[in-house]
Amino acid sequence: MTAIAAERYTGASIKRSEDPRILTGAGRYVDDIKLPGMLHAAFVRSPMAHARVLSVDVSAARALPGVVAALTGADLEAMTVPGPDLLMTLMGWAGPTPEFTLLATDKVRFVGDPVAVIVAQSRYIAEDGCDLVEVDYDDLPPVVTAALALDPGSPPLFANLGDNIASPHSRSEFGDVSGTFAHADRIIDFHIDVHRHQNVPMEGRGCVASYDADLGVMTVHAATQSVHVTRIGVATRLGMEPDKVRVLAGDIGGSFGLKIGASREELAVSAASRLLGQPVKWVEDRSENLTASGQAREESFDVRAAVSNDGDLLGLDAKMVIDTGSYPGMGTMVPAIMQAMLPGPYKLAALGFESTAAITNKAPYVAYRGPWASETFVRERVLDLIAKDLGLDPLDIRLRNVAPRTDPPAVMITGRPLAGVTSRESLERVAQLVDFPAFRRRQAEARAQGRYLGIGVATFIEAAPGPRSPEGPSGPMGLESMRLRLEEDGIVALFTGQMPHGQSHQTTLAQIAADEFGVPFEQVRVVIGDSDIVPFGLTGGSRSATMTGGVALHGARQLKAKVLDFAASVMEVSAQDLLITDGNVWVRGDPATAISVSEIAGRAASGQFGVDADAKLEVEATFDGGEGGWSGGTHCAIVEVDVETGIVKVERYVAVEDCGALINPAVVEGQIRGGIAQGIGAVLLERSAYGEDGSFQSATFMDYLMPTACDVPRIEIEHLETVPLDADVNFRGVGEGGMIIAPPTVVNAIEDALSPFGVRIYEQHLPPGRILELISTGID
Amino acid sequence: MVDITLRVNGATCTGSLEARKTLADFLRDDLNLTGTHLGCEHGVCGACTVIVDGRAVRSCLMLAVQAAGREVTTIEGLAPDGGLGPLQQAMWDSHSFQCGFCTPGMVMQATAFLSDHPDAGEQQIREALSGNICRCTGYQSIVDGVLLAAERKQGSDHDGNRG
Repeated sequence: MTAIAAERYTGASIKRSEDPRILTGAGRYVDDIKLPGMLHAAFVRSPMAHARVLSVDVSAARALPGVVAALTGADLEAMTVPGPDLLMTLMGWAGPTPEFTLLATDKVRFVGDPVAVIVAQSRYIAEDGCDLVEVDYDDLPPVVTAALALDPGSPPLFANLGDNIASPHSRSEFGDVSGTFAHADRIIDFHIDVHRHQNVPMEGRGCVASYDADLGVMTVHAATQSVHVTRIGVATRLGMEPDKVRVLAGDIGGSFGLKIGASREELAVSAASRLLGQPVKWVEDRSENLTASGQAREESFDVRAAVSNDGDLLGLDAKMVIDTGSYPGMGTMVPAIMQAMLPGPYKLAALGFESTAAITNKAPYVAYRGPWASETFVRERVLDLIAKDLGLDPLDIRLRNVAPRTDPPAVMITGRPLAGVTSRESLERVAQLVDFPAFRRRQAEARAQGRYLGIGVATFIEAAPGPRSPEGPSGPMGLESMRLRLEEDGIVALFTGQMPHGQSHQTTLAQIAADEFGVPFEQVRVVIGDSDIVPFGLTGGSRSATMTGGVALHGARQLKAKVLDFAASVMEVSAQDLLITDGNVWVRGDPATAISVSEIAGRAASGQFGVDADAKLEVEATFDGGEGGWSGGTHCAIVEVDVETGIVKVERYVAVEDCGALINPAVVEGQIRGGIAQGIGAVLLERSAYGEDGSFQSATFMDYLMPTACDVPRIEIEHLETVPLDADVNFRGVGEGGMIIAPPTVVNAIEDALSPFGVRIYEQHLPPGRILELISTGID
Repeated sequence: MVDITLRVNGATCTGSLEARKTLADFLRDDLNLTGTHLGCEHGVCGACTVIVDGRAVRSCLMLAVQAAGREVTTIEGLAPDGGLGPLQQAMWDSHSFQCGFCTPGMVMQATAFLSDHPDAGEQQIREALSGNICRCTGYQSIVDGVLLAAERKQGSDHDGNRG
């Protein structure tokens, strides 16, 4: 007799299967790997922002006992294949392509640029060796800002480009831009800056490369968001056949966009392992991580808004300059996404968008959680500034301008349909959860006592995955693949190219597959992190909820059909009469017929089932995202600004979110809260700071300030009932939204708090010193 | 090289090491106790926190030779049977963590704090954990885990007979 489970795992806060190992110190991160004969690498890095490398003398380092190799840029150049940033290659970049080597040869281009690598018996000795390397530099004028880079007289960082433009100026127009601006009641101009800050996962980058000279196979233990992208990167730059490179990954200590592909350092370490025929480990320390791993944001916008006297936002015209730092990659791809997303959920009639990407002597621009987020910051800031000009309430101006949910859906002026978008509902729900009139009364009372409270709201949508294009057959995010197999012991194994680094996929994907197939959660195993056995995939772009959740659902359905066909042959019944629940196959209406899934699997594996049946209980599934859809929501912050110290305290934070059907609410809320914490940090604390000479000024956690448990408030989250678009898959991504929307939410609240001082805010980084400057400027 | 003897997770250990080696590196490299993580190596992030003679200590700022003769507890030593201790269980129940890299330090810091402050409330817990950086969670789930552990402890202390 079998118990028939009615409950579903999907939608419940199932406890994570990752946690028992993580909570006991049994997780296996890249720095935990120890291979026989393993050596350790450390990098000599440039102290100069921009300089010619006249000579690199590694002889003293080579002579140090325990040092096995000391390799210069020239050494590495002879061992590797030149090429641009891997991301540019993979995304088919056709613009200016700078030429550079893995380690600097002719010149260094930012403080932290790797110049030589020392390989030794221990990391201690490798760092001793670094101290013995003598590099002779000849100063070049540093190109520290985008404005300097765009000056035709600035010295080009890359000789083959001739200037410092990573992506030439381009302009696009959607709708009737000139007509919209000509007929607007008002045209308002703004200049808005977003500052440079960075991912800062608690585990930095790192790898253990291990070359087997006999087999000609390179195995790289990596901390990566995709074992396959890393494999392609290593194969490409080491000149190896991709099938001779295997990439393995275990637990990963966060990434937030940083660990995609293979970094110059990881490639150099791999080349060193091939040269030496021994495993080589490199794990960056925090100073390297802050200085050299990459940084994000730093865009400036000149924005014009066409507005009616009633508060209709009719059109936007934005000119953006993005500071890609040195060694351009992701920074050249981001402007196109910003352009597409700038209208947000609003019924904008016209958009002009111009962008230029500048190359500067700073660490390279990398993807960081919601890489295009500055478009949301600009739009949500502009709406508040307009509301102030017109004397409108920030909630009202948003409610007035969000596109209504219609059938067929309204279409963004940049082309994508706003199918199922619940921005209006999220605004209305925030207004219910936060009593704005009561807050205004409290705010007035507090002001009378010299205390400055402020409230801010902001709204976003995120294409996670985005809607299916109405014209074509293509899905919103390409295809996602998964192999699913019923193992001999009855375990349903999911092989996925997702490479979770905190997202809990080993839990969430198992929840979906367990429900769909009909086995207990514990009977599903999610296999990750081995490029030899998992299909292509990438954890990034908030794609996994829809794309991988969807392929897990459809794949489990296909595997189940296959298992039922086989079971039907063995049990001599029609497959249509069979069910699988709670790990048992049984004939509908007759629980006494139940046979465990593991018994069926064992029969299939034995080859002895006496019938002509397909016993290969495995499927290769793909999913195109189905109907897709948007994630989004409205956040609200209440802050108090101490006008004596400039310190901002976030008193209350409310998030109303719609990420479709929830797979695991606790996991979803963890993603939302984590993103909000990063957004609060970005506004109040974090900045990747450079001096006028290009020196890097935030290379430790004493200088780059991270939000702590005392800086991030308890966050209230509500989930809206979503509008289902797809028959089966309505899970939507939620990884990036918190980081996209928290910065404008908090800045809007700070500006509201400081409104008695006449303060208007056109920037994102508001540490105490800057708050005090704004107050004094406002008073003047 | 310096020879040291100390107790780690209840067992006597010896090591022969360079004087400059940190306690964290000794635990990870020499004793293979890789549960202790290194997040900054300058004493700010707290990922490497272990308990030395009952006090939470940053093992990246302490030399291994300074631990000679002392009693060190790492994340691996909290529940020697391979299971979860009460705080770890409460953190699992609270979905406290995501990537898990800060986890050992958070757990050790909270263990030391709760043993001295079993009645701590939310604000005290937040202050006690404010020297441990987590980049994933926004801290609320971690604070909730510590609060839950404290509540369970108080519940079992006050009413040992209740289910």
